[in-house]
Amino acid sequence: MARDDDSSGFLGYRRADGQVGVRNHLLVLSTGGLTGQTARRIGAMLAGAVVVVLPHSAGLIGRDRDVHRRAIAGLATHPNVGAVLLVGDNPVVMEQARTDIEPSRRPFAGFTLDDCGHDALTLTDRAVRAGARLMREISGLRRTPAPVAALGIGLECGRSDPSSGLVANPLLGLVADWLVDAGGRAVIGETLEWLGAEHLLAGRARSPEVADAIRGAVLERERIAIAAGLDLTGSNPGPTNIAAGLSSIEEKSLGNIAKSGHRPIEGLLGYGEKPPAPGLWTMDASAYAPKSLTGFVVAGAQMLLFTTGVGNPYVSALAPTIKLSANPATCAAFRDQLDFDASGAFLGHDSLDATGEALWRRVLAVASGEATWGEILREGDEVLSRFGPAL
Amino acid sequence: MSSAGGADAIRLSPDDNVATVLRAVSAGERLRVRCAGNATEVEARDAIPLCHKVSLGPIEAGGAVVKYGQKIGEAIQPITTGRHVHVHNMRSARARVVP
Repeated sequence: MARDDDSSGFLGYRRADGQVGVRNHLLVLSTGGLTGQTARRIGAMLAGAVVVVLPHSAGLIGRDRDVHRRAIAGLATHPNVGAVLLVGDNPVVMEQARTDIEPSRRPFAGFTLDDCGHDALTLTDRAVRAGARLMREISGLRRTPAPVAALGIGLECGRSDPSSGLVANPLLGLVADWLVDAGGRAVIGETLEWLGAEHLLAGRARSPEVADAIRGAVLERERIAIAAGLDLTGSNPGPTNIAAGLSSIEEKSLGNIAKSGHRPIEGLLGYGEKPPAPGLWTMDASAYAPKSLTGFVVAGAQMLLFTTGVGNPYVSALAPTIKLSANPATCAAFRDQLDFDASGAFLGHDSLDATGEALWRRVLAVASGEATWGEILREGDEVLSRFGPAL
Repeated sequence: MSSAGGADAIRLSPDDNVATVLRAVSAGERLRVRCAGNATEVEARDAIPLCHKVSLGPIEAGGAVVKYGQKIGEAIQPITTGRHVHVHNMRSARARVVP
């Protein structure tokens, strides 16, 4: 199989707004749960379309309402999205989406039930026809050479064990360093899993304000846990982590933050907020992988790197997600679900640096079009965080 | 099978009082513990599963358990050398719910 081994860049899709995609998806996005099944029906009729359903809409208030709007805009104009087909039940939300998408000049069509006499089958018919035209339009786009600086990568770990902190997460740290050095963007989230290691992150902050923000975000999660009367041991680390050998949130966090590498931290992003400049960023977000990954995707990450200790199937629908482990038993058990086997570095057969370089080549190959197992097996989904009460 | 260039366990920082075993070990085994190119030995006093921790010296009740050169929690009972260190004899020092 031909593979692009040029470590200086990748082949991507240049968008009218200057972003570069690593995929060229037609996104069928339902702005609420009421049209979710309609969106899935439409997606099933359009070869290769990616369907994302945001379950909540009417009744969202405050931060949830802002995040909902940010998510629609962020997903619809994501660099991996060639064109977007929006369906929904709320004309106001649809009009906001139109306003948010238009500056990107991303091809799109939007339909609400109100446009279609409240008839979901009419909506299906009109959206499928529009979607087919969009699909044909974007099928003419071709990949062209792009620099690594155009990449944004989200760094995740899930169902971790101590091999994550020893090997797999430090490998992501190497990739993060190289990406940042090349002018790209790297983001780590999972705020609760900085608890016990926040002084190390704060020590790398670009400014005292950023250090305060990082410490404050962690203390707020700790306060929430205490207020809920929750003993973290048993919930985070969870039973799977504990069985695998992680004894405390501090131990898990110290392994987790190895993903962030060694570069200065530019700032603390809100959930789904785009990094305003290149470099390494932290995102204040849930430690639950589905919500964490969608936060990175809404923020524009084209790719995700996701380590696991004992196995975790979850991947993003829009951003190719490279799954890797350093646990020899896990690598042996999930040969056709893990995209990268780092067990040689765990066993001492391979150096961390050489394994990191092999992972970097895999990142660029996937950026240029090589499929991940998650894409082949259709594991992908997007799950948006909720924050407060709704009406 | 021996791992990581002949080591059975890895001590991530010279400040650590626990090491991570790189294979499942049985009580009574002598373990080679690697730390930044140096190797020491410790005798396992418990069976310890893959990736779990072994104490490298005595830790008093309430004493810090140190890994990565950082405190990862506190001993809830005295821990002697070579013991399996986990949730049965240590706990997190953070997000502690006061009854």
